[in-house]
Amino acid sequence: MSAQLHPVARTADALVDVRNVVKTYKRDTQELTVLNGISLQVPEGEFVALMGPSGSGKTTLLNLVAGIDRPTSGQVIVAGTDVAKLSESELARWRSRSVGFIFQFYNLIPVLSAVENVELPLLLTSLGKRERRDRALTALKVVGLADRSSHYPRQLSGGQEQRVAIARAIVADPKVLVADEPTGDLDSRSAEEILALMETLNREFKKTIVMVTHDPRAADRAHTQHHLEKGVLAG
Amino acid sequence: MKFLPFIFKHLKRNWIRTGSTVLAMSLCIFLFCTLQTVLHEINGLLEGTSANRLITRHGVSLVFNLPLSYAGRIASVPGVKGVATTAWFGGSLPAEKEGAAEKDTKADEGAEATTDWSKFIPSMAVDSEKFFPLYPEYQINPEEFRQYMSDLQGAMIGRKLADKYKWKIGDRFFLESFIPPYRKSSGPFEFIVRGIIDTDPVKHPKTDTNLMYFHYKYLYEGTGQRIGAGTYTIGIDDPEQAGTISKAVDALFENSDAQTHTETEQAFAAGFISMAGNLALLLNTIGLAVSFTILLVTANTMSMAVRERRTEIAVLKTLGFGSAQVMGLIVAEALLLGALGGALGILGSRGLILFLTKAPVIKDVLAGMGLSSLALPPPVAAMGFAVALLLGLAAGFVPAYNAYRSKITDMLRTV
Repeated sequence: MSAQLHPVARTADALVDVRNVVKTYKRDTQELTVLNGISLQVPEGEFVALMGPSGSGKTTLLNLVAGIDRPTSGQVIVAGTDVAKLSESELARWRSRSVGFIFQFYNLIPVLSAVENVELPLLLTSLGKRERRDRALTALKVVGLADRSSHYPRQLSGGQEQRVAIARAIVADPKVLVADEPTGDLDSRSAEEILALMETLNREFKKTIVMVTHDPRAADRAHTQHHLEKGVLAG
Repeated sequence: MKFLPFIFKHLKRNWIRTGSTVLAMSLCIFLFCTLQTVLHEINGLLEGTSANRLITRHGVSLVFNLPLSYAGRIASVPGVKGVATTAWFGGSLPAEKEGAAEKDTKADEGAEATTDWSKFIPSMAVDSEKFFPLYPEYQINPEEFRQYMSDLQGAMIGRKLADKYKWKIGDRFFLESFIPPYRKSSGPFEFIVRGIIDTDPVKHPKTDTNLMYFHYKYLYEGTGQRIGAGTYTIGIDDPEQAGTISKAVDALFENSDAQTHTETEQAFAAGFISMAGNLALLLNTIGLAVSFTILLVTANTMSMAVRERRTEIAVLKTLGFGSAQVMGLIVAEALLLGALGGALGILGSRGLILFLTKAPVIKDVLAGMGLSSLALPPPVAAMGFAVALLLGLAAGFVPAYNAYRSKITDMLRTV
């Protein structure tokens, strides 16, 4: 079954449509509500920052948008697909096509070179070896690291690692990029470079970006800021 | 196939751990293949025996001889169609003297040379007239047999032995037994090759021809008529009556000084080979214990490898790798460990067996046990490789299944 079997009418211009989502976790006998009836629309081509204190539910919301977690109730519709209705394998396929994820700690595979890390999502496609490698090199060129393609993560600085991670996120040309504190582990100069790169991806490559951040300067680069407090949108 | 480099890179990540696991696995498969090869060869040897033959030996031990008068009494037992006196000679060729001519001086050589125990010849003195009719699987040229029967020094040589020493009809050689009562003061026994024993490789593939027979009478007279019968080979009409006939034979000598123990040729060969007990059980138990230990070692390695890669597994799943794909990658990694260990173990086993069959002294000891053609059989190698893969699969399955079940958010959270 493909993801296209669960199309949903989306709100006008909203690529990401979160409708009345509740997310609760069970810890032993206790039930913890992390998101409490959140609704959020992100139009196509938008750059959105989610802010809020620790434990406010912003990463949980990001995980739901990225399809790596499921809501307890409500709907998460991304590019017309109700993510919650997909099976595990459908969801995995959907993720590989539709979402690029940027982690705070880069999470590159240490035994793979930069270009091999970027190529990883393309192993799930039917592309040939040559074409996979060409696309990975193109993605590295976009992030300005074409000359470091054969370097391993341990040979790169934090900022360079994050740029490789961004190249990995965009290589399959997803509709949405989700970033979980992408500058949280970087010095201010590297953080600035990463934010500039994300702006470029949004402006020139029309990528819709949802970014979680604690950093007000990072949030200022986004078009829209949303604040979460105790599982609800405060503004 | 496109994931193979990815799997190899993971194995190379901690090469010491990977290497030691592969070595442990290879040791297991090495032992498995070597022990199974020995068992396979022994089974082949036992398959080469006939259900129509019984062996009677001294009731206390094979070391003691039986009176020659027993032959006639055994022949009178109902169901017995023939009885042949036999004695295991176990001779060795004399050591070659420095500077000695090869053929012309053989008579002198026999009298003066010392014995070369590394040139052990599986040899047996038999009452030829009665013995050979009990072995229809031997193909002997009638003219050669006639020549053999008319020559007291004559020897019938198995094809494999003849090929080994390049012996042909008419060649002379000397043998001295390692059994003291079978030695004579004037020097080694001299033999003349009078016939070559062949077998039908299709009908009797397991019949060993790495041996020689000569006249019991030659041994008897050469040793001053002081020896008895080592064993009696008994031919019977009905294999189903083997138990009854064995009991009847042993009952004949129940009250004599030299009681007998009669059993099928197969049981005799098995007892002769194993001596100390159930060799197959012993070898299989060792193999099983080693395999189980290696399973635990490999399982531990795989668990550690997967545990320290929880974040990477979460990343793979985030990128769109399905749970089954991630599980497949981990299982493939474990299988690759098994395959590498298996291949190394098989090569090691093959090397050791090759070495044993070529090494001086050892090869002759093996030949004496009828294991001269010891070689790693392809089915044993294939089974060894399958065991290696099975161990890899068993070791990798649980960590792989855990990775399959784990949720991305949980794995990212526990970093």
